[in-house]
Amino acid sequence: MIVDCHTHWGTEWQERDGLEPTRWLREFDRHGVTHAIVLPHLGLIDAGNIPSDNDAVATVCAKSKGRMLPFCTVNIWQPETALSELSRCLEQMNFRGIKFHPWLQGCSVSDPVMDEVADAAGTAGVPVFFHDGTPPFSLPSQMALLAKRHPKTQIVLGHTGLFEHWRESITAIRSTPNVWGCMCSPHLAALKAILQGGDLSRLIWGSDQGWTLNDLIDYRLPLMDCLDLTDQQHQAIFSENPRRLLGI
Amino acid sequence: MIIDGYTTPGTQRETILSAADLLQQMDDVGVERAVIAPEDREIAVDHESGNNRMIKMARNSANRLIAACSVSPWHTDAPKKLAAAADRGAKMLVLAPMLQGFIPADDLVRPLLEQVGELGLPVYFHTGPHTGGSPAQVAIVAEQHPKARFILAHGGSTDHAWDMLAVLRHHALPNLWYELSLVRPWSVPGYLELVGPNRLIFASSAPRNDLGFELKQFDQYVPVKDYPQIYGGNIAGLLEGSAT
Repeated sequence: MIVDCHTHWGTEWQERDGLEPTRWLREFDRHGVTHAIVLPHLGLIDAGNIPSDNDAVATVCAKSKGRMLPFCTVNIWQPETALSELSRCLEQMNFRGIKFHPWLQGCSVSDPVMDEVADAAGTAGVPVFFHDGTPPFSLPSQMALLAKRHPKTQIVLGHTGLFEHWRESITAIRSTPNVWGCMCSPHLAALKAILQGGDLSRLIWGSDQGWTLNDLIDYRLPLMDCLDLTDQQHQAIFSENPRRLLGI
Repeated sequence: MIIDGYTTPGTQRETILSAADLLQQMDDVGVERAVIAPEDREIAVDHESGNNRMIKMARNSANRLIAACSVSPWHTDAPKKLAAAADRGAKMLVLAPMLQGFIPADDLVRPLLEQVGELGLPVYFHTGPHTGGSPAQVAIVAEQHPKARFILAHGGSTDHAWDMLAVLRHHALPNLWYELSLVRPWSVPGYLELVGPNRLIFASSAPRNDLGFELKQFDQYVPVKDYPQIYGGNIAGLLEGSAT
């Protein structure tokens, strides 16, 4: 089992394929990827389209026979609407987690409404997945503090700090038992350091597939081979940890 | 001849790589030469020893490694220090705004940029970090210093990468080149379409990246056989002073 924990049902994919995942799944099959967390895209860049994009993500994932696991998003600038949409997605539509891209969505991880969302996620038993590595709204430390305020909620650093904040992501993971790191996008040396310095039981892998039409798995999966993972590390990152995080 | 346009053989943190190992990695994938630059701590606080280490390493490499140097613009005699490094054999100035604590448009760096113009050295600007690492910040400085030749490194990867298409499309300059280490390889065909092959420079940033892996990935999108300028010609021209 290989779980790609960072993909998007991207706008370009949606324009080309509508709500049909056949081509998507074929690319995953080609790389041996069995399951994927599917995050929204349109909903992250157009708040007016959040409910319809959540519907689209749910619809496309429902056609995958359980291989594509949908995550929703909400607009915390409208707290009542956000919490109502969250309730719809988690209680009625079986979303497996919540995604925020605070930089694109223009919202701070430290906003009080984010605390309400984190609470709701903890109650529902689903993780909150963040884009991270980008100030002023998306730093690993900001997410670690949110996680410390909500110890029952699992918080995922979607990029383990990217190129500039990957050291901070190691600190966030080490200091906070409910912070997870998705090894998606840092360079090879940073990935090595994250592997050595983070907590193996909370590291997962992702490709960002779907953000564009390019095959990002084709770069980011073989890049992980350059780490010379042991069988135990491979099993943890690609299979055991995501299964535990997602309850699959 | 393939030239790796930027590597940091060092002794600390994530840049531990000996000259012998770098040369072996180059041999393994058919890379003839590489630019070598001081590592982070040297660039931040001890450029003198970093520059000397690079110059010595280059001298002992049978002409395969090409020394770059760095000088902090905070030194009041920064131009003099740069001239001294060039006199000893350094072929390129590396500036890292985040490590060295300045933003590219600060007048603080003006004396160094005037000096590189006079010495005929290219200046390599790291981009990517959020406060001082935007391609736009480098492009506007390049515009102000037409006698200096600028290498905009990393294409703003990752968050400032969104600047790149605007810079390439609307603000391309005769004194501005683009180094590709840390740039996502699937982005490069778009760069190529906008500025052509004579402005792009392949580099690995080894050991932060694996040279062989990056070369293979880039070859898929921009074949080595089709673009010798990207894989060596452009950086060679800049280092020899012939690129204009």
